[in-house]
Amino acid sequence: MPKVWNSLKHYLKKEKLMTVSHFLVMGITFLILGIFINVVVLSQTMLKYLEDQAQVTVFFKDEFGEDKINPFKDQLSSDERISEVTYVSKEEALRIFKEINEDQPVLLESISASVLPASLEIKTKDIADLESLSNELGQKEGVEEVRFYKDVVERFRSVSNTVYIVGAVLVVSFFIISYSVIISSLRTAINSRGSELEVMKLVGANDSYIKKPFIYQGVFFSVMSAVVASILMIILDFGLSKWDIFSKGLSIGFFPDFFISPVNFSLILSCILIVSGFLLGYFGSNAAVKKYLKY
Amino acid sequence: MSQIEFKNVTKEYISGVKVLDDVSFSVEQGEFIFIVGPSGAGKSTVIKLLLREESMDNGQILFQGKNIVEILPSEMPDYRRKIGVVFQDFKLLDSKTVYDNVAISLEVVNADKKDIKNIVPNVLSLVGLLDHADYRPQELSGGEKQRVAIARALAHEPDVLVADEATGMIDPDSADEVVEILEKINSLGTTVIMASHDQRIVDKLTKRVIKIEKGKIVSDKKGGKYRA
Ligand SMILES: Nc1ncnc2c1ncn2[C@@H]1O[C@H](COP(=O)(O)OP(=O)(O)O)[C@@H](O)[C@H]1O
Ligand SMILES: [Mg+2]
Repeated sequence: MPKVWNSLKHYLKKEKLMTVSHFLVMGITFLILGIFINVVVLSQTMLKYLEDQAQVTVFFKDEFGEDKINPFKDQLSSDERISEVTYVSKEEALRIFKEINEDQPVLLESISASVLPASLEIKTKDIADLESLSNELGQKEGVEEVRFYKDVVERFRSVSNTVYIVGAVLVVSFFIISYSVIISSLRTAINSRGSELEVMKLVGANDSYIKKPFIYQGVFFSVMSAVVASILMIILDFGLSKWDIFSKGLSIGFFPDFFISPVNFSLILSCILIVSGFLLGYFGSNAAVKKYLKY
Repeated sequence: MSQIEFKNVTKEYISGVKVLDDVSFSVEQGEFIFIVGPSGAGKSTVIKLLLREESMDNGQILFQGKNIVEILPSEMPDYRRKIGVVFQDFKLLDSKTVYDNVAISLEVVNADKKDIKNIVPNVLSLVGLLDHADYRPQELSGGEKQRVAIARALAHEPDVLVADEATGMIDPDSADEVVEILEKINSLGTTVIMASHDQRIVDKLTKRVIKIEKGKIVSDKKGGKYRA
């Protein structure tokens, strides 16, 4: 182990420019990967928050009383597409209104329950059904108005899909660049020790003895860069949790009802970065060693 | 079973140009043989084929009964340790001391530190350089450098020591010292194969001489002379 460390130190000293550019490129790679994963998770979280609020609200005419709304509600509850129906009575609407406008006593005085319409808040399993549902409900008897905001969700979704594609392309490109940087820096290292390696083979060195320092070197660069990127990601996510932007925490896209605090998330992300750093370094240096250490 | 057997070995670096042509000979454990011939005759090629640094186009080489073509990559380091090699240009590492130049052959197989500390002084004293352990190669004469290279080749206690023009770059007195050391090693049981076109040394030792010319063995005699 100290031997491997010595040869690494020797390389770092001798190839300063190579070392700096190696660290920069790999650091940027993992930073981009980290940011990409962050963006995916943040936008998925955002989407989840938006979707949670995406609902059709059906306001009823005053003459369409609770006795008529209830069977209407039961009928909706049995609809396949619908996940949740909540009845908001005139009184409840007033209570909510009061809550929202707490600090405006003048406004509150002028308002009574009778002014506000009763409504049903309807959530669908799939927000794609919101539009057709709202069209159907608009036709129903006793319905005053149907409101839904689906556009926001859809637009956000399409923007984030574009961002994902661009991000994925960036991540892949930088991984390819990093991979070739590992290979070329190891080639430099191997060439700079040419006669020593020749002698080592001559005296019967095991392959692993010759290869090990180079594999260690590749893994060292890659993991160190990933660690630096991880630290930056932890700081970023720590900031997110300080500002408390997402009260429930971050949601990891595809698991419903799964929320995680930004700090915990950043720790998981760090693990992902460091593991990918290790894999990139390991496979990159193995490929380089295979290519330039001929037997 | 001979230790080393060349059977009808043919080698072409460039297709159609036979550098070795139907070369057959065998070497017994503990022999001392010279491979002689003019420059370009194919002496080094014989050694490279034995070390499997080059592959042959025809024929077989058996080492201790085993066809060396069949040695797996994973077995190669082991094979190289059975055959110590010394070159005309020494191939020492200038950045390392004499001691470390010898120790490297043990370090590469992850030998115990204790073993290294035992073996290195032993082989250095065998070649008479124990007092030069802390020198660097550039502080040594040609003959001394070659003795370091021999010490390095001996660290694994090889079955065979191969020397390719080992005296080619050193003065006659130093060359005599090197050859004396090779004889000493041979007397301890190691086979020595020495490629050389140094008539003076070959004639002085009167060992078995295999003479190659233009890729063919033209004579193979015990107690031979260069011009026999
Ligand atoms: N790698 C090579 N490629 C092509 N020809 C070579 C190579 N190595 C040696 N030769 C040729 O093979 C012949 C024998 O070379 P070599 O075995 O080195 O001779 P010696 O050691 O007896 O001087 C020479 O003609 C040389 O030019
Ligand atoms: Mg030669």
